[in-house]
Amino acid sequence: MINVTKFGYEPGEHEAEKASNSYLMSLIAFIAGLPLPIINLIATLIFYLGNRKGTYFVRWHCTQALLSQLSVLFINSYGFWWTVSIIFTPNEITNQYIAYIIAAVIFNLGEFIATIYTAVQTRKGIHIEWWFYGGLTDLICKSES
Amino acid sequence: MQIGVMKKIFIQGLLLIALFFATWLVFAQVDWMTVFKVHQMTDKTEQKLGELFFDIFKKSEKENVNPFVANCVDSILTKICKENGIDKESVQVHIFDKDEVNAFALPNGHLLIYSGLISASDNQEELSGVICHEIAHIELNHVMKKLVKEVGLSVLISMTTGNGGSEVIKETAKLLSSSAFDRSLEKEADIKAVEYLVQAKINPEPFADFLYKLSANEHEVVKYLTWASTHPDSKKRAEYIIEYSKKKSAEYEAILSVATWEKLKEEIAE
Repeated sequence: MINVTKFGYEPGEHEAEKASNSYLMSLIAFIAGLPLPIINLIATLIFYLGNRKGTYFVRWHCTQALLSQLSVLFINSYGFWWTVSIIFTPNEITNQYIAYIIAAVIFNLGEFIATIYTAVQTRKGIHIEWWFYGGLTDLICKSES
Repeated sequence: MQIGVMKKIFIQGLLLIALFFATWLVFAQVDWMTVFKVHQMTDKTEQKLGELFFDIFKKSEKENVNPFVANCVDSILTKICKENGIDKESVQVHIFDKDEVNAFALPNGHLLIYSGLISASDNQEELSGVICHEIAHIELNHVMKKLVKEVGLSVLISMTTGNGGSEVIKETAKLLSSSAFDRSLEKEADIKAVEYLVQAKINPEPFADFLYKLSANEHEVVKYLTWASTHPDSKKRAEYIIEYSKKKSAEYEAILSVATWEKLKEEIAE
């Protein structure tokens, strides 16, 4: 799921810090806005907008941090509205619902761990590409040179 | 080169989605409701709540212990349950001496009928209709749904553990006796009631007449019309009951003889 690859150049200390921060940003927002799945997306989006003029390494990791929110965003939004419908409408808890919530928790946990790992590694200047999101980021985020 | 990369990313994305759905599907094979004892927990809560609320009515109102009245109502109930495959043990009927035209369901299948309702019924089909409507609420689990929605699960559970406070319990009991369910739940119960009636070979039209009569306020016991006033749009309900029962043509037969019905009314009047 996670690939360690060589980046085009050796990122500097401050670049590594900024890149790592973009993951930390999503982690903090993840904890703060847990019931509302949209919050961590907004937080990473703000960080992305603030850093899109940064160096290539920073830009690349901001983009990956933002994109990686997408899958859990969809999963959590659906789970969120499903829960709301159980509380406020005659819909009842079913096996399907419990299974969905468990699957959602596993995916959130997976993303959470991967984010921590990536934050730590990028802080050391190690370039980490995620399955699917790494490739997607490569398409979106081009080096200026 | 670019197309190849995009294809690879696309496949990776699809795999990611497939992985999620596969995880969901695998977990959905487990019967979580049993694992977490969802049903047992709710059953226990419902049982406790039923006792709690019934106690309140038992203390504040007078229960009718006339065996003839009990037998008559039981005959109607037995017939309805038998013809519809309902476990008769799941419905416990109690008759209270009160002029209010009212009948309502409490948690755990307690069905309370006020003598005023029996007096206000011109024939046994009308009474059977109201009983069927309340049984439908019980069978469709409307009582607990309403309680959870209006009071909240946490308050309900705290009641059963003895931390509820008697005022809260009283107010909640009142909520059940003198307010209707959601419009959609009422309609669902009406439709189900007609099904029960037809299945038990009871003509559903008098049930519609009963609602119509009450909505028209022509009845002598107008001031006690709780059941009709808490159930909104009686006229509309009467209309769709007629509409729905027209589709079901069947032969009808009386449960109680005319003489028995007359005697029941006399006993109630005393």
